[in-house]
Amino acid sequence: MRTLNTEKRQVVRNVRKAAACAALALLAVAAAGCVTAGGGSERAVIRAKNRVAPALVHIRPVKEVYARGKREEVVAIGSGFIISPDGYVCTNEHVIGQSRAVACILSDRNEVEAEVVGVDPYTDIGVLKLKTERPLPYVTLGDSEKIESGQTVLALGSPHGLARSVSLGIISVTDRHLDAAEARTSPFNNWIQTDAAINPGNSGGPLVNLRGEVIGVNARMLRGAENVGFAIPINVAKEVIDAIIRDGRVRRSWVGISLQEMMAKTDDPTQRGVVISDIDPLSPASEAALRPGDVLVAVNGTPVDARFPEDLPPIRKRITDLPIGEKAVFTVRRGDETLDLEVLTEDAGEFRGTEREFPDWGFTAGELTLDQVRRAQLPARVGVIVSGVQVGGIAASARLDQGDIILEMDNEAIENLAHFTRLYQAAVEARKGLVLLRVKRGALTRFVLIRQESTATPLLPEDTDGHVE
Amino acid sequence: MWNSLLLLSAVLTATGDFFSQAALERAYNDLTPAIGIVRYSLEITDPASGEVSRRDNNALGLVVAPDGLVMALGHMVIENTQPFNIVFTLGHGSEERRFDATLLKKPDDVNVVFLRLKSDAPLDLPYVRFSKANDLALAAPVALFGRLGDTLDFVHAIQEARIAAILEKPRTTYCLDQNVRFGYVGGPVIDTAGRVVGVVGFDLSRAEGGDVYSRSGHPLLYQAELFQKYIDNPPSLTEEQSAEDYAWLGVFTQPLTDDFAEYWGLPKEGGLIVSTVVAPSPAVDAGLLPGDVIIDFDGTPIRSKLDSDVLSFTKLVREAGPGREVTIRILRDGQPREIRARLGVRPRTARDAGEYEDPVFGLTVREITTDIRIALNLSEDVQGVIVRRVRSGSPAQLANMRPGVIIMSFGDYPVSTVDEFREAVDKVVARKPAEVSIFARVGPATGFFRLEPRWQNNQ
Repeated sequence: MRTLNTEKRQVVRNVRKAAACAALALLAVAAAGCVTAGGGSERAVIRAKNRVAPALVHIRPVKEVYARGKREEVVAIGSGFIISPDGYVCTNEHVIGQSRAVACILSDRNEVEAEVVGVDPYTDIGVLKLKTERPLPYVTLGDSEKIESGQTVLALGSPHGLARSVSLGIISVTDRHLDAAEARTSPFNNWIQTDAAINPGNSGGPLVNLRGEVIGVNARMLRGAENVGFAIPINVAKEVIDAIIRDGRVRRSWVGISLQEMMAKTDDPTQRGVVISDIDPLSPASEAALRPGDVLVAVNGTPVDARFPEDLPPIRKRITDLPIGEKAVFTVRRGDETLDLEVLTEDAGEFRGTEREFPDWGFTAGELTLDQVRRAQLPARVGVIVSGVQVGGIAASARLDQGDIILEMDNEAIENLAHFTRLYQAAVEARKGLVLLRVKRGALTRFVLIRQESTATPLLPEDTDGHVE
Repeated sequence: MWNSLLLLSAVLTATGDFFSQAALERAYNDLTPAIGIVRYSLEITDPASGEVSRRDNNALGLVVAPDGLVMALGHMVIENTQPFNIVFTLGHGSEERRFDATLLKKPDDVNVVFLRLKSDAPLDLPYVRFSKANDLALAAPVALFGRLGDTLDFVHAIQEARIAAILEKPRTTYCLDQNVRFGYVGGPVIDTAGRVVGVVGFDLSRAEGGDVYSRSGHPLLYQAELFQKYIDNPPSLTEEQSAEDYAWLGVFTQPLTDDFAEYWGLPKEGGLIVSTVVAPSPAVDAGLLPGDVIIDFDGTPIRSKLDSDVLSFTKLVREAGPGREVTIRILRDGQPREIRARLGVRPRTARDAGEYEDPVFGLTVREITTDIRIALNLSEDVQGVIVRRVRSGSPAQLANMRPGVIIMSFGDYPVSTVDEFREAVDKVVARKPAEVSIFARVGPATGFFRLEPRWQNNQ
């Protein structure tokens, strides 16, 4: 599944392409002429479309991105749909995440400001609230447990920025498992696969059945393939939307285990359970002496069983739904033994670390995620990770590099991003000529010397006599 | 314009600093009988997919000893490619002589390879004798001898060039002043005195598996002193030869630039800052710490201010002799100190590490050498063997195994060396189970692979 891409990057890129795309699309439409499908099914499609289209939202968020060592703002394009008369909108996290302002264009083509209520990167769901007093049309949410492959569906949204577009297809697969190990984007759900055309810009738009109920949130496509699109099942989205509206975020437990289906170890169908493939060091699971290779057979007495990869997301969800900060009993089979191990769950925390720009030195850095801590073989969550370096900046000339982990500044160990920011600000204000950083790059550490005065020198001396035109 | 050129030419004639047509023809007649063509097949492994493809190739080969030692450029052997079916031919048409050849272990300090020609009778071939002269001057004219391409019947050819630049560090390197056709690469180079001063070289970039001296992209002249030692003592046949000749300290360093000296209040005289101390290593045993500044290594002052100086230091250590006790003078917190260290043997690198291809599952594995451990940032507690290749269509490929996967146990047998892997494979093969479980590390995470061997086909 390495070719699978979220539309995220594409959305941003598309902003620039949008105008060109629109022109091309018009030409294509003209060339294709008019094709009419026949009879009753056409009426059914139009009826379903009419039940959803008024609640369709074209979303134009201004997103904060950290690129090439700078904080920048870019305009993206996505889709969404109104889910309540008071103006809550469901969309994708990758559409509205990290946005400063969100403009929504409703089906009547009026523009309304919206605030971000909350986002959940794990499921790629985000919720907006439209800032308007007037009552709004909204969709009916269906039941994604009651879907069937072969069933006719419609995708609505703004492919390549072309608002109010409808495409038609069928459900290709109801429970596609997309490998979460690499992208880590959907550990807790399978996906609805559809051949209804989904393009960049469709993200966040509704997947609709012929009754006009929303059964999924379009979010991904397989690039290079023809009409292989994926939607988040609406039942998954409902739970997340409720949590976001209630708490602003989804709180999840974390124990630090990775799971694999039983087929990864054996084809023997009598063997029940799920394989624990990995244990994060410094995690509750590691504390509880769980080991890779243990077969998890029950959580708090409830049996778990995953013969195939598609069976994994519900089990991951069951674990992540455990109360935070409480003990849970994990029953595992290890060789011939069956063990009950107590695991004290922790808060899963944020999906990604916050970032910050350090403009005087020309670079950006972020809080380390647990995954980065592990990749870097750090003994604990310390330091900050350089996410980008500006060409020609002080940091670049000191050869600070993207991916470097800053461990020390002037012999003081860096605890986190806030701590680094304080030290940085103090160094900038004091106009310290030289600042020493100790950084880790892969297995190696090295010293990096920041020479501040090189750019602090103005091109023209400020207090020279005479005048400057 | 033409006048000035003529004038220049006249001046050169007067000093004897040019090639006369007669001199070149003489050299051509002397050298060309020793310039042959190496034809070989290459097996190329895609490092990402593990897919193996094959193609045929040829290169210029130079007979450098009458008993059948041939030197060619090192591009024949790079990461992920393995030459085989090597045939060497000398002469043309009915005069052509054909030899099967065996590849010798590639030296790791100069980008050349050696071939041993197979022959039932002792050989007495025409060969090229190199001059050890290492005094080529900037702009000195040189002549290159090579062969044109396949479509031009590999006919022998001459090209003139000049020494365009001389690099001093990390070793003396001569750059040629013009692009060189492929057929000249590896061919002999003479100076105006008629001495064979070296061969046309091209270094590999590090990404291509080049060594520490990599300077890629420009035609070079490899002076004879770089490879004469291998002609005198040809490398062994086996890949298993270790780097026992090389000493090792186990530090990574960066130059003490004036900025660093200013920051620490040290004299701006250069030195090497210890940035990383590899553990375990002689450096750890000797008590070297990150932040120490090396200013003298066993009597040789270290005055490094440039990155390229680091390589000179590496070379200095390498050639100091393993097992030797050395005195290292350092500055620690600004104070001079002396440290005694007993140099170790440089750990085997991935290139020297032995490989093993199992007969059933389609896996070729290699030990995790220190350099791989550093490159992949693996801690000492990660023990296993690393997958180098996955045979197309094999049970391992069906199980989605890929190059780079680190096998930590195979069929429930823990594996930390290639020998242990081989033993585990043998034990599994003896049992012939329907499925084999592999516990492995993929990137920072661990997981399982299940292989289903096809016993009836293989055994």
